[in-house]
Amino acid sequence: MINLRRYTLIRNIILVWVTVVLFAAFLLNIPKINILEHTARNLYFHVPMWFTMMAAVFVSAYHSFQVLRSGDIVRDIRALQAARVGAFFGILGLVTGIVWSKFTWYVGTDVWWNFDPRQSMVSLQLLIYGAYFVLRGALDDPNKRARIAAVYNLFAATTTPFLLYVIPRQMDSLHPGAEGNPAFSEITHPIMRLVFYPAIIGFIGLFWILYTQRVRTALIKHRVTHDPEL
Amino acid sequence: MTGWSILFAPQRNTPFPHIHPPYGSYLPRMNWIKGSWAVLQKDLRLEMRSRYALNMLLMFVLSSLLLIAFAIGQESVGERMQSALLWIVILFSASIGLGRSFVAEEERGTVLLLQLNVPGSQVFTGKLVFNFLLLLAVDLVALVVFALLLNMVIENWALLVFSLVLGSVGLAGATTLLAAIIARASNKGPLLPVLLFPLLIPLLLSVVRASRAALSGGLGVSGALGDLQTIALFSGVVITAAVLLFDYVWHD
Repeated sequence: MINLRRYTLIRNIILVWVTVVLFAAFLLNIPKINILEHTARNLYFHVPMWFTMMAAVFVSAYHSFQVLRSGDIVRDIRALQAARVGAFFGILGLVTGIVWSKFTWYVGTDVWWNFDPRQSMVSLQLLIYGAYFVLRGALDDPNKRARIAAVYNLFAATTTPFLLYVIPRQMDSLHPGAEGNPAFSEITHPIMRLVFYPAIIGFIGLFWILYTQRVRTALIKHRVTHDPEL
Repeated sequence: MTGWSILFAPQRNTPFPHIHPPYGSYLPRMNWIKGSWAVLQKDLRLEMRSRYALNMLLMFVLSSLLLIAFAIGQESVGERMQSALLWIVILFSASIGLGRSFVAEEERGTVLLLQLNVPGSQVFTGKLVFNFLLLLAVDLVALVVFALLLNMVIENWALLVFSLVLGSVGLAGATTLLAAIIARASNKGPLLPVLLFPLLIPLLLSVVRASRAALSGGLGVSGALGDLQTIALFSGVVITAAVLLFDYVWHD
């Protein structure tokens, strides 16, 4: 059973935390970095989105695994809602990345989409979640849907790590730490990490709030209608 | 039963008997290879009678290859485009032709019979080998017709054939599990390509590079070694995961 007072307390702490991070990200001074200039502030938003999506993918895969172990429909609701919120953060990370690269490295060209490894991986994960949602729509019985969607989610989770090996050999990267690019610690001033690390924690906390709220709503709907999708 | 002795104990037919009723334990203890072979033989015999899946696959390959040839016309295509087009044709025909393997069982009403007589992993292996054989036929026709239509100059036949066969193993593994999934869905229509293509992008990338290395102007075996390793690893992981997950799809 959820302790509602504790839940509210943690939620409020996270909300205050994210607010402070947002103010710091927009208002604090940042060191001057070539090409990036003031767009370097996007570091506080774009990178945590990617971290948050990875966390959501892990949460979703974990609950899919638990669906197969226990057959519990609540686990299915959790896997679905983690995937939905994770897809949302993935889209945000993708859009912030595309806009960022367009107005820095690709300014003056017509390039919007580049085949950066991380960009390809995020778009692939979004495709997989799209297929996951389509598959859920094609199954009627809630128990069968829980089991088969979990199988697909886990099966997809076994294939995506290959991209980590395959794509970097195929395409160049804009991201720090990739071959030929300076490491993350070289291009960022230590002072930026004072905002960057709290931003990661804040956005993962934001994911947790959205995810738990959606799970609670879906649970109530499930109790009323016996169908978590409605 | 503890420790290492679990490795040598007689195998249970369902991995998690507390979830599904242990159908497996009521079955006669059939030799694993014998059971898979029986399923494969049944599929082959049915296929020989109607030739439905084979004819459909080959017609699809031929017509899409002709479409590509007409669309490209007289222009010469580089080796990268050649291997990319070849693999896209193979992927699309697999996603259309192989999706029927479990749907056909549902339509004939033979699912229950199969569930009662053969453990799930043996059904999966039989279907996997059958799909792999169909894919080999697709590879053969696609390669020959493509080489004639697009003037492919093949430097290293062994490498090209090897990468086609190895890629087909991984493709068959992913397709067989997903075919079992869509047989459970209520509106089966064009679901398989939607589910299949996102999973196959790692395979497609490495397999296109490996086949490209075998064409003229390619890098040869040394350039394709890393990609061949990736394909082999991918196929191994996909088939292992598919065998582990298949029982959850197969039994209600």
